[in-house]
Amino acid sequence: MKTLKLCIAILAITCIAPLSAQTADEILDNYFENIGGLDKLKSVEGIKMVAKINQQGMEIPLEILQFSDGKQMTIINFQGKEIKQGVFDGETLWSHNFMTMKPEKSDAEATANFKLNSNDFPDSFIDYKEKGYTVELLGNETIDGTETFKIKLTKEPITVDGKKEEDVSFYYFDTENFVPIAVQSEVKSGQAKGMVQEVTFSDYQEVDGLYFPFSMTQGVKGQPGSPLTIESIVLNPTVEESSFTFPEVMAVEEK
Amino acid sequence: MKQLLSLVALWGLVGLYSVNAQDKNNDGKALFGDMTARHIGPALMSGRINDVEVHPTNNRIIYAGTAGGGVWKSNDAGSTFNPIFDDYCQSIGAVALDPNDPDNTIYVGTGETWTRNSVSLGDGLYKSIDGGANWKKLGFDKSERIANIIVNPKNAKEVYVAVLGALWGDSEERGVYKSLDAGETWKKLLYVNPKTGCADLIMDPIDPNVLYASMWEFRRTGWSFESGGDNSALYKSTDGGATWNKIHNGFPSGKLGRLGIAVAPSNPKVLYTVIEAEKDERKGLYRSDDAGNSWKQLNNDFGITVRPFYFSRIVVNPRDENVIVKGGLSGSISRDGGKTFKALGNMHSDIHDIAFSIKDSDIMYVGTDGGVYRSWDGGTNMEIVENLPLSQFYHISVDNETPYNVYGGLQDNGSWYGPSSSPGGVAARDWNSVGYGDGFRVLKHPTKNIIYSEMQGAENVWRIDVDRNLTKTIQPLPSKGIAKLRFNWNAPMAISVHQPDRFYMGSQFLHKSEDMGDTWKIISPDLTTNDPTKQAQEDSGGLSKDNSGAENHTTIFTIAESPLDGDVIWVGTDDGNVQVTQDGGKSWTNTVVNITGLPKNTWTYHIEASVFNKGTAYAVFEGHTQNDMHPYTYKTTDFGKTWKSIITADVVGIVRNIQEDYVNPDLLFLGTEFGLYITMDGGKNWKKFTNNMPSVAVHYIELQKETNDLVMGTHGRGVIIIDDISPLREINEEVLNKNVHFFASKPTVIHEESSFSGNFGTETQFVGRNKTKDAQIKYFLKKRHTFGKMNMEIQDMEGNTVIELGPGKSKGINIVNWNGKIKQPKIAKGKTFSFGGFTSPSVPAGSYKAVMTKGKETFEHTFELIYDTNSPLTAEEREFKNKTTMKMYDMTQELAYLVYELDEMITKSELDKNSKMAGKLIDLKETLVITTGDNYVGSAEPQLREKMADLYSKLADNYDKPTSSEVENLSIIAEKFEAAKLDFIKLKKKFKTKEPLDIMTFEEFLEHN
Repeated sequence: MKTLKLCIAILAITCIAPLSAQTADEILDNYFENIGGLDKLKSVEGIKMVAKINQQGMEIPLEILQFSDGKQMTIINFQGKEIKQGVFDGETLWSHNFMTMKPEKSDAEATANFKLNSNDFPDSFIDYKEKGYTVELLGNETIDGTETFKIKLTKEPITVDGKKEEDVSFYYFDTENFVPIAVQSEVKSGQAKGMVQEVTFSDYQEVDGLYFPFSMTQGVKGQPGSPLTIESIVLNPTVEESSFTFPEVMAVEEK
Repeated sequence: MKQLLSLVALWGLVGLYSVNAQDKNNDGKALFGDMTARHIGPALMSGRINDVEVHPTNNRIIYAGTAGGGVWKSNDAGSTFNPIFDDYCQSIGAVALDPNDPDNTIYVGTGETWTRNSVSLGDGLYKSIDGGANWKKLGFDKSERIANIIVNPKNAKEVYVAVLGALWGDSEERGVYKSLDAGETWKKLLYVNPKTGCADLIMDPIDPNVLYASMWEFRRTGWSFESGGDNSALYKSTDGGATWNKIHNGFPSGKLGRLGIAVAPSNPKVLYTVIEAEKDERKGLYRSDDAGNSWKQLNNDFGITVRPFYFSRIVVNPRDENVIVKGGLSGSISRDGGKTFKALGNMHSDIHDIAFSIKDSDIMYVGTDGGVYRSWDGGTNMEIVENLPLSQFYHISVDNETPYNVYGGLQDNGSWYGPSSSPGGVAARDWNSVGYGDGFRVLKHPTKNIIYSEMQGAENVWRIDVDRNLTKTIQPLPSKGIAKLRFNWNAPMAISVHQPDRFYMGSQFLHKSEDMGDTWKIISPDLTTNDPTKQAQEDSGGLSKDNSGAENHTTIFTIAESPLDGDVIWVGTDDGNVQVTQDGGKSWTNTVVNITGLPKNTWTYHIEASVFNKGTAYAVFEGHTQNDMHPYTYKTTDFGKTWKSIITADVVGIVRNIQEDYVNPDLLFLGTEFGLYITMDGGKNWKKFTNNMPSVAVHYIELQKETNDLVMGTHGRGVIIIDDISPLREINEEVLNKNVHFFASKPTVIHEESSFSGNFGTETQFVGRNKTKDAQIKYFLKKRHTFGKMNMEIQDMEGNTVIELGPGKSKGINIVNWNGKIKQPKIAKGKTFSFGGFTSPSVPAGSYKAVMTKGKETFEHTFELIYDTNSPLTAEEREFKNKTTMKMYDMTQELAYLVYELDEMITKSELDKNSKMAGKLIDLKETLVITTGDNYVGSAEPQLREKMADLYSKLADNYDKPTSSEVENLSIIAEKFEAAKLDFIKLKKKFKTKEPLDIMTFEEFLEHN
């Protein structure tokens, strides 16, 4: 925490420099520096977040697992039953159906789009140039009452309902401490298609020398969102490889 | 021609002008935080569309540029639309995609171009290079109205803009402009004079150097409209706009009015124009088959010649030069090259633009005064897009029902009222029609179930007995010895808080009725300037007579009776008078002479009589009909003897309305052409409110007294509400300097009502968001919380945790919602879900504390939950209900723990290979929870868990006390549970294992996921 405070103090001075002195890369450099250093961040191989959503009297416990090889899953605990959502084993994206509680594969388009992001762990901005992404500083904007740098991140195009579309999101980095406090992107498919979804981040706390947001709020821009509280974060957790594998439920062949 | 060429030689240069989305001085984003506006529409009659644009290669993408509601984009071929231009001027003239990069590059020209009396104002040209996510302004600040934007399909840097320009006065920012650097700098290519603008511009589909421009001489005043003159003409350029020549071979002689122009995309030799001419028989559609060298008149039906200033768009089918569509009262389509026409299918009248789908000419998108329509059969049948809430209110009012209703009248769409909240959200079906024609003011009788509404020029003023469904007209009629009455298009009506049956109307006189409009008495002299030069409306229109009543002038426009004294009445007139009487109309004083800094005859748009002092009033003035776009707002505290300006440079755009708070005299709300502004210091500083609040014209504001909701009637985005503005009453320097400040809140009524909303068929409909019924904890943070822990929990007054909540972290005002429920009970683990177990019980009424932990500091705020006074339950019955519900809640958790222990024992005995024990344990378990099936139709027979949870949820969800059959059911379940517990204890005694079981305590189990 001490180093962070020092960083903030130093940054407060550099902040007086005019905006034009900032480039997107400088902001990202500052960001990585402030959350514990790029090398340290790159050395992370996996992350486990234990979280809960509180909404309308419903408390839903979650466990989110993400790994550097692209594997990930979210485990929701309902009445002691584990329901897996967004499980990706590197090839197959699948989830449990809520009615049958049996695993089902996501459609091919969703899987292909998901696969594109498997090199984004733990942060999309790491080596973004090598990944073929582009970033652009669009200027300053007030988010959550706070002055931010608005940075546009463009990743590989995704396919939406059969048509190729750009994958764009806008990150808002606090001008005071250079951490992202919000990200916005257009919803590309489904009922909310065309609306802008927003996730805000706060409660950054240290885990083994790296800072992570322990609180997120997700929703549609301009409307109240639902808060997600992270209770603990474990770096490089051990997880059985097999828990990501899609369990075949269909009979292979009847004889 | 020479003169024109010399003018063209004077290549004007419009400098690059770029602005940020927000002006820092008046930015409310750092304060208003979680206070967000909600939109309730309605969308069922939608609103005026100015321009429809299709994507050149992706048939799913369609844009609608609306008259007052911004730019909307459809990604699903017109099934639904979403707004993409909310931060900017909402009046749109033209939307254009760069054909070289149509996914990303969009140009938007603001300012609607169909120049009716009530048009909104534009403020320039904008561009997005990322599909509408971000916008940059490209200047043309004084253009007011942009008719077309064309990007050269072979060169993205080459852009043409047609500026129609100012409607209400001279302006040199008009004509055809060209950029060679994609909009960074501009040169004026075609300019005629300060009264003549470019009404239509097209480019040859093959040769981008060939352009056609129609120039139009036009002018509006508050009392007249003039279309046409010697300077209206159709021009052609063959050199990219460097030189222009008139192409009038075959045109009618004399003055010309507004001309539409179109070129057939499939054959660039074929052009169509509609001509407004001096002689009726020479008006209508003309066609050229030689790229404009000669013209032939083909048709002058009503559908083609009607109101050229409002309808002059011609669209040619991209695949067939002989199929053309013309905007009009109903819209007309020709399939024989323009010789004959039939009307388009039945839809809202006033058709402004048409676009054919790029894939199939049977699919058409039509922009009307009532939204966007789709056709699948070449224009014969039309269906409305149901999610465009573009309603254009002139005025709104509210009542005191729960939930309160909002009343208002719309441009060309009648008068309506609807609820501010409704089960499932405020949908189309919630709105009730209470008048036809153009609607304006709609007022609810203060005590009776009677509604007053009106149509244009008070041609009809209706008094509606809602209970009996009886309607009569009550407008003041001409009487002996009294001059002809002059009513404004938007004629003022007012009710009284002192006498419920009192009803006022304003012509040039103030009319008062004490019997709800049955008998009228004039209680003033002519309060206007009565200037006869502003009273010749029958001559209005120019080449096409247009006496709709919209230009009636020298009339009363606003009436305000003091809420403190019924003898004090304020009257404002459209020609700039501010009259006041202090003796119920016996004597009147025109106080506008005491106002300094206000140009003569500036329209008095609204007077707000203060609730704090009867000599205090606010007046807003609106000079756009005199080509004056400045904001004017004044306050008097001495019946108008002196007036003080309370406007600052923070406010952008003409002011239409002001609303005073009922509690804090320094808290004022200002409705302007470009959004809502709020002051918390009596007008020294104004902040723009932008949280889900578009920069839309706010025509009228009401503050609902019970709820403190700010209700706005916007001219383009329907009714917009900011729920409970009471925190703003507490904002002052002291609060702004505190790290954390909790705002006072009224006790929250525990929500027990329920209803069935059955939202079938609303998939593509707009549904307005409801006001929350949750308890709200509101606090101010001086700084956003970004680093370190920040939690909030609700505690009872003994300090026991009731529930944890996710607090807001924004700088400014934060709002945390709590629905008064604790978390759902822990449920026994089975094969499937127990749906009853997802129910959360409500806490009893009483005092609670929100405890916020921020780093090492703790902050507390106490608030109240109360029961609805209408609830049929007695205090004893409530206690019985709560006790019984919580008994079931506890029992459910107890069972969960028992099943947990059982599961642990089963696992252990299986490990120990003690199959006999395992079998017995499993037998018991199977009577307690479902161990087979799924959550849908494959579900198994319910066991004790399901029966227990279902009764628990029945009790928790019911408003009522437990019935005797529920109590009996409970005792059966309890008995079964007791028996199960005994069986379990027996098994536990018999359960033998080497190592002791590692089992969580009950408390640990409850905490465990």
